[in-house]
Amino acid sequence: MKSVLRNKKAIALFVLPSFILYTIFVIVPIGCTCIYALYSGTPGLNWKFVGLANCRKLLMDPKVKMAFIFTMKYVGMILFGQVGLGLLLALMFRFWIKRFNNLVRTITFFPIVLPLIAVGQLFRKIFEIQPNYGLFNSILANIGLTEYVEAWLGRPQTALICLVVMGLWNSIGFYAVIIYGGLLDISNDIIEAAQIDGARPIQLFKSILFPLLRPIIITCVVFSFTGSIKVFESIVALTKGGPGEATVSLAKLMYDTAFEAGNYGYGSAISMVIFVVCILGAYVIRRFDSKEV
Amino acid sequence: MKKRTLKVLALGMAMTMTALAMGSTAVLAEEAAIDTSSEKNFKILAIWPEDSAEGKILIGLTEQYIAEVNPNFSYEYEYVPSADVIAKVSTLVASNDLPDLFAYAYGQPIMDLIAADKLVNVSKELETLGCTEYINEGAKASLLSLSNAEELYCLPYGMNIEGFWYNKKIFEEAGAEVPGTWDELMAVCDQFVEKGIQPIAVGGADRWPATRLVSAYAYRTMGADAVKKASYGEMRFDDEGFVTAASMIADMAEKKYFGEGSVTVDNTTAESMLLNGQCAMLYDGSWFTSSITNEELNPDGEENIGFMGVPVVDESVSAATELPTNCGNPFVLSADKYDAATAGWLQYYMTNVGNYAMSGFQSLRGYTYTTEPDELSPIVKEVVDNINSATSSTAWWEAYMDTETKVTAMNNIQLVLSGDMDGAGYCASIQETYDLNH
Amino acid sequence: MKYGCTQKLKKSLKGIIIFLVILIDAYPIFWLFTSSLKSPSEFVVNPSYSMPEGVYLKNYAKAWSQGNMGVYFRNSLVYTVIALVFIVILSITVGFALTKMEWKGRSLTSAYFMLGLMIPVTTSLIPLVKIYRSIHIINTGTCLILTYIVSGLSMSIFLTTSYMRALPNDMFEASVIDGCSIFSMMRYIVIPVMKNCIVTVVVLQFFYKWNDLLFSMTFISDKDLKTLQTGLLYFEDQFGTKDWGAIFASVSISVFPLLIVYMFLNKKVIEGMTSGAVKG
Repeated sequence: MKSVLRNKKAIALFVLPSFILYTIFVIVPIGCTCIYALYSGTPGLNWKFVGLANCRKLLMDPKVKMAFIFTMKYVGMILFGQVGLGLLLALMFRFWIKRFNNLVRTITFFPIVLPLIAVGQLFRKIFEIQPNYGLFNSILANIGLTEYVEAWLGRPQTALICLVVMGLWNSIGFYAVIIYGGLLDISNDIIEAAQIDGARPIQLFKSILFPLLRPIIITCVVFSFTGSIKVFESIVALTKGGPGEATVSLAKLMYDTAFEAGNYGYGSAISMVIFVVCILGAYVIRRFDSKEV
Repeated sequence: MKKRTLKVLALGMAMTMTALAMGSTAVLAEEAAIDTSSEKNFKILAIWPEDSAEGKILIGLTEQYIAEVNPNFSYEYEYVPSADVIAKVSTLVASNDLPDLFAYAYGQPIMDLIAADKLVNVSKELETLGCTEYINEGAKASLLSLSNAEELYCLPYGMNIEGFWYNKKIFEEAGAEVPGTWDELMAVCDQFVEKGIQPIAVGGADRWPATRLVSAYAYRTMGADAVKKASYGEMRFDDEGFVTAASMIADMAEKKYFGEGSVTVDNTTAESMLLNGQCAMLYDGSWFTSSITNEELNPDGEENIGFMGVPVVDESVSAATELPTNCGNPFVLSADKYDAATAGWLQYYMTNVGNYAMSGFQSLRGYTYTTEPDELSPIVKEVVDNINSATSSTAWWEAYMDTETKVTAMNNIQLVLSGDMDGAGYCASIQETYDLNH
Repeated sequence: MKYGCTQKLKKSLKGIIIFLVILIDAYPIFWLFTSSLKSPSEFVVNPSYSMPEGVYLKNYAKAWSQGNMGVYFRNSLVYTVIALVFIVILSITVGFALTKMEWKGRSLTSAYFMLGLMIPVTTSLIPLVKIYRSIHIINTGTCLILTYIVSGLSMSIFLTTSYMRALPNDMFEASVIDGCSIFSMMRYIVIPVMKNCIVTVVVLQFFYKWNDLLFSMTFISDKDLKTLQTGLLYFEDQFGTKDWGAIFASVSISVFPLLIVYMFLNKKVIEGMTSGAVKG
């Protein structure tokens, strides 16, 4: 009976095309990056083998340390925000909104449709202070909180918050869609049965929805983690790493080092840091996942 | 013509033999002969969209060359924004496929390409082609200085001066005089602040508009070559003069001369603010004239904007006629792709570009020209006159710094604007990075 | 009575929250559209949230001609759709093989496919350019489509596997007993039950590919092969001055048709799913 599911030919047909494409165009470049991390300069220009010198440099480099700390803060905030708010939004779609469900979901999904360059400009304008107060500062000024009017993007601490706000706003639709998909797979009967049994919403969520949604939520956590640790484009769109170097993430530092400063080798070494942190993080998430089951 | 070609060919053959004997790096001289008939697909990587004045000049001239001289010549024009050109060139150089002609960036990037023998030695080529006189002397001097080479490896493609621009209406309404010295500038700023007008707009989000202010004060107080000296280790960035300059800017930011939160303003916005009367002054380059003469961007018309240069501090150190110049981004030719057909194009380009740009686009590109355009718009004329009467020039703050130092200088200026760092701290941070890399 | 009161309060609170969520997410649609109608000086003279003073259609004219939108729109559509078809086929088959079929090394393979999620795409630029050049497909639609496919694989496979893991095994075993071959099982069971997941994959990947700038800028130099996002770059000069009105106009042109398509797609799928659930 199981032979159909052990059909070697079918397995090969299903897996091999992706495997080959993926190996050539994803794994080989990653391999190249590992090797490049042992060089300094730009390939074809001043390419020099330096062995583990980049590695030593990484450990000493204050910029890497700053970027690492910034990235971790960002990841922490984004992770909770994306998964938590995404979950809430999905629950809202499922239980609160009866009419216009489709329209509402389309609207909440909208932010992710926009190119980041437009999103960045939108948020720059929202947090604007010169030449005119943007939306946020105007609201503050109008409700009498004039002393809190601030160049939000111009201060190191608040610039991080602005980035997180933009990141969340931009991506929550994505997580809500994934989780909502999972919610739809939970049949109405189960939920109704629980409701008839008198389960309160929180109980319903804790004992029925959450266990069933678990795999999806873990998926979201992994996406959120691996996505936010590579944060690059939204920084370019909103703060360009400023003020000073306050919002330079590892990926932004990698890009600047590799291309602006012309040290592709060292840039590759920085991306190995991201790679390693990602693998560790994914491992931790997996461990966490299997422990609780 | 024929005789000369033969001569060059003979020379070329001799060179080839030496090149074969010596290795393969010096092959380009072999192909110095001009070929105006063979087929060639000429790839151009530019930072100017096809429909900008710069793009039109380049494409127009190349098409004219095809029509008039070499019908077998063809071209491909690729546009990449200037912010991405270094990354694009890195990927191309890594796979050994640089375009024939490309725009690039001064300082470290171009020096790296020169060191790796990737670029055509333009000085030598122009001599062979007999075109040396077509480069504007001022442009040539600053190009040489900026790429830190004895010979020219790039062509100019722009000729700009920098300084303060002001909104005449705002000055009139406030009863303010256009300042000629830095003290007067400060007094005028105070006057504007009192009246609730923002004196100066600074695009701090783009970083360079803010560092330009530091260098403006520095060259007025320390002389035109101070930054260059510091970048080559003959002076230090934490010398008193630089600290004073940086502190001056910190002080001006503190006094709200740049309005609130100037780190968050980009230069596009700052330019619009001046044109729409939301600030009195702005530091910018003469490329800004294209916005000034554009009625949609400048509703009050070009007569409303004036150029006032950089206020003087000490006439004996730096005279009013000494202005920062800027040759736009450099234009370079790939050594691997350079051949006789390209030489034909280059000769044509050199002999025609100055006149073509001036008569058709009222645009100075760093080449000599003989035609005078019929009607030069007043503001463009002012710029041209300023360039012609400039006695000497200076480059900008980061022009000679190595990449790492440049990054520090550009990033930390934002902290100076926001008040998180003082002038001394700023200068110390630059010197610290400089020391780490030398 | 009291019960009814709290119920009412709850209901209106619910309404307010929903309204706020919609407001926060819908505001940009509004903002984007109104900004695309503003003249250049309005961007600095008036606060950014103010209404346009008039209808400045020049932005749209510029967006269409200068940004070369006609050609770029078609290119983006072709690249994205082809890439999506492959992504869906590949990720469904791999996902099925990784979760429901039995073979040695499948958990290792599954971890292997995860690696692609872990490295910033910017790192792969130079190696990819080299590979594409060596097989002579640089500066072609093919290399961009290939990049789109492989860059979406990891995430899509991850999604399909986590959806499939949640599906009960008996469903497939039962069909095997009924004498289904692996391929008809794929056709008649896997694809229908995965419809929801497929839509998720399609929608997410669509917008990632649609908004890609880095790859198309790096791999494509031919003007006739470029994509929509590279068109946005034409509104910037060498000193970084940007023409925001035209940028917003071209974003509007590219975004609104998609939204409408998405809305219909969304509705169709929901209908399909609910009807399926009733039958099940």
